[in-house]
Amino acid sequence: MDLVAHVAVFSRALRERGVRASLSDEADAVAALVLSDLMDRNEVRSTLKIALKIRRRDAETFDELFALLWASGDAARRGREAKGSRRDGPLKNFGGLPGAAAAETERQSLEGPSDVVGYSPEAMLRKKPFDECTERDLAQMERLLSRLALALATRKSRRLVPTRGRGRVDPRRSLRRAVATDGEILRLARRTRAIEEPRLVVLCDTSGSMDRHVRFLLAFLLSLKKAARRTELFAFNTSLVRLTPWVTPSKIAATLDRMSAGVPGWSGGTQIGACLAAFVERYLDEMVGASTVVVIVSDGLDRGDTGPLAAAMRAIHSRARRVVWLNPLLGDPRYEPTARGMAAALPYVDVFAPAHNLESLEKLVPRLSAA
Amino acid sequence: MRPEIRAIGEAMERQGYIAEPAIATALYLSTEMGKPLLIEGDAGVGKTEIAKVLARLLGRPLIRLQCYEGLDVHTALYEWDYPRQMLRLRMAGEQGLDPESAEHVIFSRKYLLERPLLQAITQKDGPAILLIDEIDRADDGFEAFLLEVLSDFQVSIPELGTIQAEHRPHVLLTSNRTREIGDALRRRCLYLFIEHPSFEKEVRIIRARVPGASERLSAEIARFLESLRRRRLLKAPGVAETIDWAQALVRLHRDALDAETVEQTLGCLLKDRNDMVDLPAAELATLVDGARGAASIG
Repeated sequence: MDLVAHVAVFSRALRERGVRASLSDEADAVAALVLSDLMDRNEVRSTLKIALKIRRRDAETFDELFALLWASGDAARRGREAKGSRRDGPLKNFGGLPGAAAAETERQSLEGPSDVVGYSPEAMLRKKPFDECTERDLAQMERLLSRLALALATRKSRRLVPTRGRGRVDPRRSLRRAVATDGEILRLARRTRAIEEPRLVVLCDTSGSMDRHVRFLLAFLLSLKKAARRTELFAFNTSLVRLTPWVTPSKIAATLDRMSAGVPGWSGGTQIGACLAAFVERYLDEMVGASTVVVIVSDGLDRGDTGPLAAAMRAIHSRARRVVWLNPLLGDPRYEPTARGMAAALPYVDVFAPAHNLESLEKLVPRLSAA
Repeated sequence: MRPEIRAIGEAMERQGYIAEPAIATALYLSTEMGKPLLIEGDAGVGKTEIAKVLARLLGRPLIRLQCYEGLDVHTALYEWDYPRQMLRLRMAGEQGLDPESAEHVIFSRKYLLERPLLQAITQKDGPAILLIDEIDRADDGFEAFLLEVLSDFQVSIPELGTIQAEHRPHVLLTSNRTREIGDALRRRCLYLFIEHPSFEKEVRIIRARVPGASERLSAEIARFLESLRRRRLLKAPGVAETIDWAQALVRLHRDALDAETVEQTLGCLLKDRNDMVDLPAAELATLVDGARGAASIG
């Protein structure tokens, strides 16, 4: 096999493990390998990493696959050397990877290309009939939820755009206009701050105690995704799963089917702390910035130690523009946020609100818009 | 290892930058392939410094575009010098110049203010080093615009026409990962992630940058930082912090770490109050002991 084929096989193995590697990345990798010392393991590794643009969160997967690649190359080389043939760089003759990688990735793809091996989003969401909700209910819900999503996430950008109304004077455009009138400024052009596209990160609890709310929450998540194109969705119970790749607006019906199909016999508790810590570790840096609103939907009933939960919440709060905690149990007048997990998280929550029915969300919209 | 890559690493070291092979490889590939290099990593791991060192190595000017929220084309690319244009226009009026030729005069290169991106592509005598710093702070819209500039290195100015790069600049972009860089831009670049330095590398950095630090002190500092970074911190100290701290300790005439001094100077390393609160005196003392013990064995 030549270099191109090797890179193609390796990139496919990466993609099958959920690591993005496009055709143009492959082209870069080939061009870069030509420039590097193919006998030097570390150099080949760095080169591939640089040219394929491997993010830190994918570095482990990459190293694992690269080890496979190199080992198979070594074995092939030893075999050939024994036969007395020409000595080649390991990359020139690995043969074992395609088979090994295929077997490995097959196992993975059966479970879904999830970020956490062993849990598919389907398993996270218990079997729930959608038929309790009529079409009209859902349509109404979606309209309301898209308004909610906008209120949650919209803000004014610092970028200035031309306006016909009030705003700061824009000397550039004012003077540009004045050229037509011999340098006489007749009317000032103005600029104002642009409305920024919503940016949301939603973390949704799908554990047993949240069971009866899951249907509603799904509708909520999907509307959010519709209203704000750049919404990241996560589900968690005992582990964290990134749902975003599965939830695309064009495939909402299919997504609902997949999610509601569920997995029989599955039931789980929650480890909010561990899950949020996993989120902080893997995604916080890239997904949450000063303009991001983080929405956590959970009842805060944590089985684990509350230390990690508080630490994770603090980390999220320190980066996000706003942290919103929607708690379906708040609708129950008997509920007090004394659940240990909830109490630990509360100091780092900006908006704590009920989310058990449409009415509660309707009330939330003006509160958030005013904030 | 390719001799060229080794040479880059050594040359960088002579400039006081301790580069591991991956960094030298990335720079080599980026210059050879003529592709921009996107460098990510935590604050203070030495991303920006790479561009400065590269500029010194190649003896070329470094042109820096610091990104921020709201950065727009007129700050990044070009702007007309309106006050001067205005004056010229008035003069033209008095001289009785017809409007068309007046316009021709004021929209010429003479009245064009070159901002960093334009400066970088109009260098006369060779390629410049263009550092686009903290691209993650700019808006997505700006990122899309940048993509266009980086793909053909030409700029269209409606009043003037197209300006083509005479020498394609070496482009380095840095990101602190406060948001994810778009896939399109990422694809256009080569990519380097810089981790916090290993113990050995950090010792070498301290020795290179803080000549007053003894071998023992350097080792203890590096060991202490290694265990400090292993803790869950909101803001892990970078190399910049290490150097500050080493300098502080040298100023205080310390030849070894002791719990009291470390506590007093911890502000050089931890810049978030929560991280300070999370480190009670007893644990700090353990960390210091660990650093001293390990360093003396090593």
